[in-house]
Amino acid sequence: MSLSPVQFIAVPLFAAFLIPLIGKASKETVKLVPGIVLLYLSYVALNLFPRGLERPIVEHIAGFNPPFGITLYYGPLAAFLTTLVTLIGFVIWLYSYKFIIREPFEKYYMLFMLLITGSTGIILTGDIFNMFVFLEITAIAAYSLTAFLRDKDGAEAAFKYLLIGSFSSTFVLLAILLIYMQTGTLNLADIALKMADVPITMKIFILILFITGLGIEAEIFPLNGWAPDAYSQAPSPVGAVFGGIVVKATIYALMRIVYLMFNFHSVLHFFVIMGVITMLIAEMSAMRQHQIKRMLAFSSIGQMGLVIIAFGLGTEPGVRAALFQMFNHALIKTLLFFSAGYLVFHSGSKHISALDGLGRDKPLTSFFFAFGALAIIGLPPFAGFWSKLYILLSVADAHLVTVVVLILISAVIEIVYYLRVVSRLYFKRETATDVRRTPLSGLAAMGILAVVILFVGLYPNTILDWLTPAARELMNTSEYIRTGLHLNSGLLSINF
Amino acid sequence: MVSLTTLYEITFGGAILAFIAQHTIKQLRTFIVIVTSALGVYIVWRLPSQATDISFRLGDFQILWGVNEYSQLFALLIAVLGFFTLIYSIDFMKERERLGYFYMNFLIVIGGMYGIVYSQDLISLFFFWEIMTWSSFMLVIYCCDDAQSIGLKYFVFSAIGAYAMLTAIVLIWANLETTSLSVLFENFTNLSSGLQITVIVLFIVGFGVKSAMMPFHVWAPDAYAISPTPFTALFSGALSKMGIWGLGIVLLKLAAQSGFYVWVQDIVAWIGAITALLATFYAIVQTDAKKLLAYSSIGQLGYIIVGLAIGTPLSIMSALFLAMLHGIFKAMLFMSAGAVFYRTGSTDMNEVTGLIRKMPWTFLTALFGIITVAGVPPLGGFAAKWMLYEATIQSGHYFLVIVLFAASTAAFLYLYRFIFSLFLGQEEKEYADIKEAPLTMTVPMVIMALFTLVVGVFPGIFINPIGNAMGYFGNYTFNWDVSSLLNEWGNHVDMMTVVMTIGAIFIIAAIFITIKNYRTTRYVTTKDIHTSGEIPTENENLTYAVDFYKPFERAIAPVLKRSIDKTYNLIAENLESAFDFLRYVYTGNGQTYALYVVLFLAVLMVFAELIFGIQL
Amino acid sequence: MEINWSSVIGIVATPVIAFIVGVLYGGAVRKITARVQNRYGPPITQNLFDIIKLYSKKTAIQHGVMQHLGPVFAITASVTSLYFIPVIKDSPYFQNFSFNGDLIFLLYMMVFGSLGMALGAGQTGNPNSAIGVSRGLSQMVGYEIPFVLALVAIMIQFKTTSLNELLAVQDHFTNWIIFQSPLAFVAGILAFLGMMHYAPFDVVIAPAEIASGPPSEFGGKYLGLMMTSGSIFAFVKLVLFVDIFLGGASDFITLIIKTFLLYMIPVLTGIVSPRFRTEQSILFFWKWPTFIGILAIIVVVLNG
Repeated sequence: MSLSPVQFIAVPLFAAFLIPLIGKASKETVKLVPGIVLLYLSYVALNLFPRGLERPIVEHIAGFNPPFGITLYYGPLAAFLTTLVTLIGFVIWLYSYKFIIREPFEKYYMLFMLLITGSTGIILTGDIFNMFVFLEITAIAAYSLTAFLRDKDGAEAAFKYLLIGSFSSTFVLLAILLIYMQTGTLNLADIALKMADVPITMKIFILILFITGLGIEAEIFPLNGWAPDAYSQAPSPVGAVFGGIVVKATIYALMRIVYLMFNFHSVLHFFVIMGVITMLIAEMSAMRQHQIKRMLAFSSIGQMGLVIIAFGLGTEPGVRAALFQMFNHALIKTLLFFSAGYLVFHSGSKHISALDGLGRDKPLTSFFFAFGALAIIGLPPFAGFWSKLYILLSVADAHLVTVVVLILISAVIEIVYYLRVVSRLYFKRETATDVRRTPLSGLAAMGILAVVILFVGLYPNTILDWLTPAARELMNTSEYIRTGLHLNSGLLSINF
Repeated sequence: MVSLTTLYEITFGGAILAFIAQHTIKQLRTFIVIVTSALGVYIVWRLPSQATDISFRLGDFQILWGVNEYSQLFALLIAVLGFFTLIYSIDFMKERERLGYFYMNFLIVIGGMYGIVYSQDLISLFFFWEIMTWSSFMLVIYCCDDAQSIGLKYFVFSAIGAYAMLTAIVLIWANLETTSLSVLFENFTNLSSGLQITVIVLFIVGFGVKSAMMPFHVWAPDAYAISPTPFTALFSGALSKMGIWGLGIVLLKLAAQSGFYVWVQDIVAWIGAITALLATFYAIVQTDAKKLLAYSSIGQLGYIIVGLAIGTPLSIMSALFLAMLHGIFKAMLFMSAGAVFYRTGSTDMNEVTGLIRKMPWTFLTALFGIITVAGVPPLGGFAAKWMLYEATIQSGHYFLVIVLFAASTAAFLYLYRFIFSLFLGQEEKEYADIKEAPLTMTVPMVIMALFTLVVGVFPGIFINPIGNAMGYFGNYTFNWDVSSLLNEWGNHVDMMTVVMTIGAIFIIAAIFITIKNYRTTRYVTTKDIHTSGEIPTENENLTYAVDFYKPFERAIAPVLKRSIDKTYNLIAENLESAFDFLRYVYTGNGQTYALYVVLFLAVLMVFAELIFGIQL
Repeated sequence: MEINWSSVIGIVATPVIAFIVGVLYGGAVRKITARVQNRYGPPITQNLFDIIKLYSKKTAIQHGVMQHLGPVFAITASVTSLYFIPVIKDSPYFQNFSFNGDLIFLLYMMVFGSLGMALGAGQTGNPNSAIGVSRGLSQMVGYEIPFVLALVAIMIQFKTTSLNELLAVQDHFTNWIIFQSPLAFVAGILAFLGMMHYAPFDVVIAPAEIASGPPSEFGGKYLGLMMTSGSIFAFVKLVLFVDIFLGGASDFITLIIKTFLLYMIPVLTGIVSPRFRTEQSILFFWKWPTFIGILAIIVVVLNG
């Protein structure tokens, strides 16, 4: 079987259906399945990557040519994001291996596989309705995972998520409906081509629906009310899944749609403003949280605000910086959720005050938390430094000095609440000791992330070399349309 | 193989190795640490003759590391101080826990500082700057419960400084498309004048925080006082000099080109002078020796800032001279306070007393230290102070020099209190069994103490390299005799004559009083003193230490009453409660969130014209 | 090497002369004070005999090496400062090293002795000594400010920090700096009151209160050396002021007249004054004297 982008969707989907069946036979084997799948996908991702960079791979499913068939578009951007998702997915599996031991864990893995399917689907699809379907798959898996612990708080959080999420689905579906009515096509590239003919008011209406609908999942303020609850009530690896995978995929969807269909300046400025508001409010709220996972959730939102700001600049350095930040945030926030998971586990309480002195009792887990905290603040020599720097530089290039200052102010707030926790871990007297040890798989997962974070921090070129074509792809819509529709460049004469 | 890369590799590698060694083969740790820092000294010493610039691309940036005489000056200070403080730490830290953590961060700080001074571009400068910041933060919070809030304060202020600097870097990038320092110096005048002043102010804030310039100094006293003493010595001796290093560049390379130079000079000089004066006042009222020294540090850095700001050849010379010397004498003083702490477990000046006969070498170091700080001849401090005053007067800053004089006269107060409270005064029974600090601590201290004397006699051994380093800023020549000081009006002081005179008279008088006297006199305890007829019992407390300068405190009460620290705390508290209010946007109620979504949609629809420019 | 005999004679003779003059001035002050207070008073040579007596005594006790060296520090500072001041204008004998130092150097050199004394007094462990030192240092911050203001005013007016050059400027008595820069003189002389430690600024040694403060634990040769140093130091300060403000002296008679008249200012003020508390004297110096000093600088700046 030759390698193809389809496998990113097909393999985990297949695995998701297989898991309950295997579960009937042997529960222990179930645990291994996602690992094998994700390892394989990582292999695929790394193999396809150079090809994606070279020339976008456009796959047609069911034999119809675009704009009629279902298309997968594997360009540099998709290559980058799928690689990210599979790698993060693999690490999350590694971590979950010993963390999710509560029954029915085969369901957990099934949902997890569905979530991977959905996320890679969102990233790869070249068809807007498919995108909706994958969004729904992701969302439903996410709702269920939120309530995985089956306690009252979890159920409540999941219900809130579901409530808000249903708004999201409605709006997105409505927008797609309107697009189809206006253009008569569902292929992204084709829509982009025909969008020029859509009346401007309709365009704006569709845009607003998209912003609201996708903004919910992308955690734009004030649509992100569900997030803190969901992040903190779901099991820790799920928090990492949300922060590392789901949000990334949704932001991708939002940005792809906006750049492809509505690429005009006031839209982008709107994103800068929304990003700033999201970031500031989230960071300020994070500062006053008493639960560590809620704090991480708010921090996640804040970081997404930063990403949205960078996307909103509408410049190639901006987009590249945003992608870099997404990459780093996925790694670092996952590391933070992992370590926080075990810290909560060992201290027996979700409260930050219960973490006093755990640094002595659980040195490695605490070390990874401190490591992640320093990295997410944006201190060198960790990866977070470079992405924040690039975002600031691109913001300054757009002559938005106020935004630079606001980003830095929010960074100071970030420092305060992260270092508070870190210094609590190490420099308060121990309150309790826990004899249970952090499992090796968990430590290995954290270790891998930490090594990657440090490596990227020391050699940012490795990532930046991939990001430049990815950013160019998002910016260069005509190229996307051309390759997406197999058009010759000569045929394309549309002004956006 | 001597190059910058090896220097970084060895220092950072040594840091990681020390951490690993602590958790595997403990005996190796000290060896690794000492060898690393010694190699650092060697490499830094050999660098100018052998190193070539290192340049490579990192992302969008051209990274450039290079050696020049200005950076070499600071690098030598870092290397030597790092070496001495690490030797000192062998015994000082012996009984402490988490030594792997301590030594790793210690070496990272040193490496970060090397990185800063050898950076020839803004990105690597900032990169190493932040590494230095967080690793020093780690050391500040190394010990004790209240280290938390102190460390946080340190980090927040550092971050504000660093981000001010980052904003400047970003602005430069956006407007000049460069991060190279030399390109920046050449093209600085191409920036609009508004941008010039913004960049200058931002850089001054950035470097000013680290050099504890008022009003950004509030982190310093606590952070210096609470970090472990070997690190405090480095912190105050070398790390604060990174701020000075940067201020030198900003003031003399950037501001000097702008139209605002005169303003910048005056304002910064005055800030420096006021820093010196107020810090001295605060130092006088401290009861903890380390805190006293911390304030003293802030004050001395104030002098250095004044020297840099005034910007005449003599004043720059004095500033750099003082910067180098401060690194040495403040390390000496902190180390002697640390030695006292090592033996008595306290640096509280109201408690510890009368250690002179128990710890003579520590006392000697402290004595040389305070004489140097005071600027009294024949030790090195005199040359620095002398040049600073002459330069200040001769450049027309008449009132500034008065403030400086007031500060340095007031400095005698806290200096005397430091040495009196710890070493002189009543010898209490409590401290009867105290021994001198171990050799690893006394030897570095005494070496540095003797060095201050050498510098006092031959200021030329500092002046000549500093003169070379000043070549970085422009054409300055200092063809002075090795032992003489010259001012801009042609007046001079010949240190050789001074020291010979002092030495001769001192020796004659000492012989005179010792011969036939010392043997016949009987040593009596400090309880056996003139108390107007009352005979003090063994347990009677005759120590005069509490509120040592009460009358002076009364005189300066209006100054002490105001505290900028309180203002900052108030701001922080208010902000936090504002944030607390704000977080209730997230009510935790699903219906509210749903309402938000609907409202958001509605607002977008209604204000579409405002937001997207098109009416729906 | 050729030895310059005139300077060798100067180096030997200057401290001796300074000592004798200083000691006799000290005796004279006691006499004058006594006469003002309607007592007979000791003979003018009393201080000299006291010192000789002290040197001939055996020193019984000491508290340690710092106390031992305290008086040495003091005498070192006094004599060194003396060597760096031109005692007699244009005389080959009494220039000593005055060309190798300047005013700012002297300022610092003069502190050297106080610091050494304070350290010596500190080791004795006598609380009275410590209190005295605390007061002395605090008061120093007071009077040093007007003094430096006066010096700075003069330095910038004549663009020099060298005493010899200042002397050269005052070649005729109309050119004396007291007339060229009267405000600086007023500020300087007010500071001088504090420097001499006579009432109302005698809280440092306050004999009845803290048993003469810093020197209270010193006896025998220690006290003798300290008194010697004190006498020389008083002479140093007088000559310094005469050189700065009163045109120096070309011969001994002028020197004696000028210094004696100058000396009478603090002495006579002291006789009729009560005692300031430490903070009172600090604040005293920070008010009018400082204001006058600032005015002196402003005048110089406006004129020049």
